[in-house]
Amino acid sequence: MKELSLNLLDIVENSVKAGATLTEMLLEQVGGALTFTVRDNGCGMDEETVRRVTDPFYTTRTTRAVGLGLPLLKLEAEQTGGTLTVQSDTDPVHHGTTVTAVFHTDHIDCPPLGDVVASLITLIQGHPDTDFLFTHRLGEQEVKLDTRELREVLQGVPLDSYEVLQWIEGYLREQYQSINQ
Amino acid sequence: MTVRELVDSGAVKAAALPDGDREIEGVYIGDLLSWVMGRAGSGDAWITIMSNVNIAAVATLADTACIILAEGVQPDDGVTEIAREKNINLLLSDRSAYDTAVWLHERL
Repeated sequence: MKELSLNLLDIVENSVKAGATLTEMLLEQVGGALTFTVRDNGCGMDEETVRRVTDPFYTTRTTRAVGLGLPLLKLEAEQTGGTLTVQSDTDPVHHGTTVTAVFHTDHIDCPPLGDVVASLITLIQGHPDTDFLFTHRLGEQEVKLDTRELREVLQGVPLDSYEVLQWIEGYLREQYQSINQ
Repeated sequence: MTVRELVDSGAVKAAALPDGDREIEGVYIGDLLSWVMGRAGSGDAWITIMSNVNIAAVATLADTACIILAEGVQPDDGVTEIAREKNINLLLSDRSAYDTAVWLHERL
């Protein structure tokens, strides 16, 4: 994909499909490496499935024979000299999946991060009843959004209402702006 | 032109030719796989320099007539076997993507 933020969307969709009530997204830039972690509390996968998810001919979809979300993310990470790891647990209490991709951002084949804010808005709009915790660490500073906190304040106003989405977008963009200054 | 006729012309070599009677109806060039997925047409000869297993998946999705690895690129380990197994024609060209496309254009 041309932008990493689109991969983020793609991977989080898997978490939502796995029944996650909370999906955490962490972007962390340390030196020349960007670590991209998606951790959910969805149903998890057994060992055999974890082994196969980076195989492009493995998919949980029944409408077509190919699933390319994770294989493409793996390829993109490896093209920059990075890695992709998938850990998962189907334990009745501690179930969930963690996908970690490391990109070397100083590599010429590393795609730009793209518009993360737009991707987050798309996610919340598409899944207003699931919670997302987004953290983007940039050195000492961070940009953060926790939909659980929003929900508490909003007292029943749906997250996908226009005003709320507008507010979230402004809130995130403001945080990025203050870091850039 | 069928994929087998393309191979017989000597312009490309076949790494895997499980479906040689497939007709080539057009050409698509691209290396960003997520982009190619949505744009390569059914029946296209898809020219790329990407050589990993994901190309077989993209060719399946886009229903291309064949994959042509240009610039003398060799498939990664195991990709030829997967192409054969998934009924995907995988060809090798020493020419650039441009020259391969021009060559095809003159004969299609």
